Amino acid sequence: MNATIDTTHYSRTSFLDHGDDTRSIDESVRLPVLALFGNAIHWFMVAVLISLVLAIKLIVPGFLNFSWANFLSYGRLVPIARDLFLYGWASQAALGAGIWLAARLAGRPLASTRDRGVHLHTLLISATVLWNLGVVLGSLAIFAGYTTGVEWLEYPGWASATLFLSFLLIGIWAVLLFDRSKNEDLKVPQWYLIAGFCSFPWIYGTANLLLVWKPLSAASQGAVQAWFSGSFLSLWLLPVSLAALYAMIPRALGSPLNRGSLAPLGFWSILLLGGWNGIQRLIGGPVPAWMSSVGVVSSVLFLIPILIICINLLGIDYRKNPRVGRNVSLRFLILGLFSLITLGVIGAVSSLPMISAALHFTGVSEAQTQLWILGAVTFPLFGVLYEALPRLLGRECWSEKLSERHYWLSLVGFWLLIGMLVLEGLFTGLALLDPAVSFLNVSSYAYPFRFMEVVAQLLLLAGAMMLGVNITRALAGDYLFPKR
Amino acid sequence: MHRLPTLLSGIFLVFLTSWLGLVAYPAIQLGRLVPVSDAETGGSLPPLYNGSAVAGQRVYASEGCVYCHTQQVRQTSVTHSDIERGWGLRPSVARDYLRDSTAFLGSSRIGEDLSNVGTRLTNATAYYNELYAPASVSTEATMPSYSDLFKVRQIQGQRSAEALDLPPEFAPKPGYEVVPTTDAKNLVAYLLSLKHDYALPEADSVKNSPAPPSH
Amino acid sequence: MNHDPTSPNQPHQDSREQSLSRPLSPWLIGAFILLLIWGGFYLAFNSGGFRQDVYESDAVNWAGGGASAEAPPDPKVVGKRLYSQNCVVCHQATGLGVPGQFPPLAGSDWVNSDSIHGDNHLVLLLLHGHQGPMNVEGQTYNNAMPQWKQLSDDQISSILTYIRSDWGNNAPAIDTSFVTLMRKESESQSDPWTQSELMAIPRAMDASKGAAPAAPAASAAPPAK
Repeated sequence: MNATIDTTHYSRTSFLDHGDDTRSIDESVRLPVLALFGNAIHWFMVAVLISLVLAIKLIVPGFLNFSWANFLSYGRLVPIARDLFLYGWASQAALGAGIWLAARLAGRPLASTRDRGVHLHTLLISATVLWNLGVVLGSLAIFAGYTTGVEWLEYPGWASATLFLSFLLIGIWAVLLFDRSKNEDLKVPQWYLIAGFCSFPWIYGTANLLLVWKPLSAASQGAVQAWFSGSFLSLWLLPVSLAALYAMIPRALGSPLNRGSLAPLGFWSILLLGGWNGIQRLIGGPVPAWMSSVGVVSSVLFLIPILIICINLLGIDYRKNPRVGRNVSLRFLILGLFSLITLGVIGAVSSLPMISAALHFTGVSEAQTQLWILGAVTFPLFGVLYEALPRLLGRECWSEKLSERHYWLSLVGFWLLIGMLVLEGLFTGLALLDPAVSFLNVSSYAYPFRFMEVVAQLLLLAGAMMLGVNITRALAGDYLFPKR
Repeated sequence: MHRLPTLLSGIFLVFLTSWLGLVAYPAIQLGRLVPVSDAETGGSLPPLYNGSAVAGQRVYASEGCVYCHTQQVRQTSVTHSDIERGWGLRPSVARDYLRDSTAFLGSSRIGEDLSNVGTRLTNATAYYNELYAPASVSTEATMPSYSDLFKVRQIQGQRSAEALDLPPEFAPKPGYEVVPTTDAKNLVAYLLSLKHDYALPEADSVKNSPAPPSH
Repeated sequence: MNHDPTSPNQPHQDSREQSLSRPLSPWLIGAFILLLIWGGFYLAFNSGGFRQDVYESDAVNWAGGGASAEAPPDPKVVGKRLYSQNCVVCHQATGLGVPGQFPPLAGSDWVNSDSIHGDNHLVLLLLHGHQGPMNVEGQTYNNAMPQWKQLSDDQISSILTYIRSDWGNNAPAIDTSFVTLMRKESESQSDPWTQSELMAIPRAMDASKGAAPAAPAASAAPPAK
């Protein structure tokens, strides 16, 4: 093992392949990763279905509105869908992807044997069970009306404590690996994974402690909640996505990172700015002026790491690998990357006070959230899924047709959704600047865009269904669809 | 940065900056804000909520009102339109939320801002009609009907004093009346108490507002 | 853990050259530094001194010609606040007064210095108050207006500037120096004015703002009572 600092690692194309050892690495993490991804996909599909229902409710308020079924009301379904996306799908898939990537990047099996008497598989599977239990119980609680009322943290204290406990189990696994990893030479994707996995307990624990378990005075809750929403995305989910992008794009393209020496700057600037990013949702809000201005500055400065990521990943010479067009995994990764870039630009522009005056609280804010959750986080995780599953199962398992359909439906549905949300935001926001225009009139301007958002959600649901069928065939294909 | 211990310390320190600024600072500074005394009335500002309104906050949370309605009047350094639209006499400040158990700041204005709805709609009937049959108030509204907050029951003898007066197309069948449940009454009590029309040391009520409405 | 990681791939020589030896583009460095400088300045000017109780950042009004932290407060804004603290009780927030009791300020000739009323009458009225019947807009009011000479010249000029600009009134501002002048000239006045006394003083306008009055700008000393 080369103990000196290896600067050539910026110039390698793949850290994920280790020749003959690769199979045993995959074997070692197969069960936990499959369990996490499998559960995550189910939640994803439920969440996308609920999102469609919500989009329809915006244009037909009476849709699924029954006096005996108050659990189907808009106000209850929104937090359920949002939390399913965040905790049921994204966090769980990030855990699965993170464990697989960590194992491949470390180049050794990470979860196949006992370590100091702890059976690592059991640890990770228990964590998965606990996690899903927390999600189920939390969602049921919101259905029944027992919500905390704090955005993105609606699960009651006992449900979020279950999620936190689950993550602690994963933390134990990570800590057990610490000794052995102490002297390893870490590469960029690994930094992102470590940053993400280390940040999550701190972010989730602090936010729950101060907003759910032992709530602070409501005067200070706004700032903490804003911090949580920003950090959860930028310091937990985004780093895992970036680890996937940095590890898998050069490998798929057959070329190393472009100007890899910039990557550390990108890493540290994301860590620094990501925590402050959240406060941009309170620009102009009931917080001291310096918080608003920090929100503006951090949103604009966030362009720096995004620019670096662009340079690193989009500057790669892709002509060396002509099979790029057929690679679904790569295409999802690139889709994620473009979502991130769009997100950065919209974020920077819409945080400037003059523009925030018009666009805050409109469809543009919602577009940013969708760009984050669906775009910058979900698509790279799909990229990992499409690459990892065959390796974990040891056989080609995806149906090419279904994969293509999933990709195209997701691509079109996603950009249609974003486009319509942005247009809706522009129209309503600019109209609302004039106080003489009645608010209700402005709602009617939004109608055609909301209609198209329903269409977009339909496309996304269709794509999700393609994925659902695809993965069911992949996992149980031999039993359900026996070969002729 | 290429070794785990260095990396971990770096991550810890960088993470700490935003944590200190956006968690520790608000918790310590904003979290220690206390009500100020009201020279005119001898009470305190922001005023306490009555018991029904406190329960109403729970209904506001469980019905998910915060996902369509904000409760923040924006600072004039960003925009005057919130104030000019009549959503408040002055921008909201942190101390305004002191009496809430959860700060329902909101992030989406599919519906109107509600931070001063108690000054705009002063009659409980208006709220009940809006909640039960929003289409009777406005045909263009995206607001769904919260009929689960009401009971449709047979008129026993005389019509109840609490029964809603609804236009014919929304009224229940003859012999039946619509009355609000306790949840609805609590929610409306909470909404009626949403008024930030008082001045605070950090928010002079007259400084940035147009002439106050003459009753 | 049964095996050690081996280093699998050999670095590609040409891409190694590519990714490491190319110097960072000066444009990139320049762009980053510019962004950081912008950020620093923005934070410095818009953070309200990083104080906990400042919610309005002193942001420049992008529409042009707006207030900055160093600009003096708008007299109309200050005047409005003073008005609501001192005058609202009688003359109401709408400036319409109370019919039969307190005269209106909206559209009032007294306030706008129209026809026989001058700026000086208005200032003197505020300084020393009024007693006895008073004719405003064709109505007679017979209430007492207290004196306000305890307010500073600045405060009086702000109040008057404000009431001359709201409720449809559109008369020029009153300058603080004019108030000082009027105060000096009426030093000997001890009781509140009666209407006949006040109107006996020749009409005079505040010429310091360059407003062109219809009547000659003769500032005569009021007759001693």
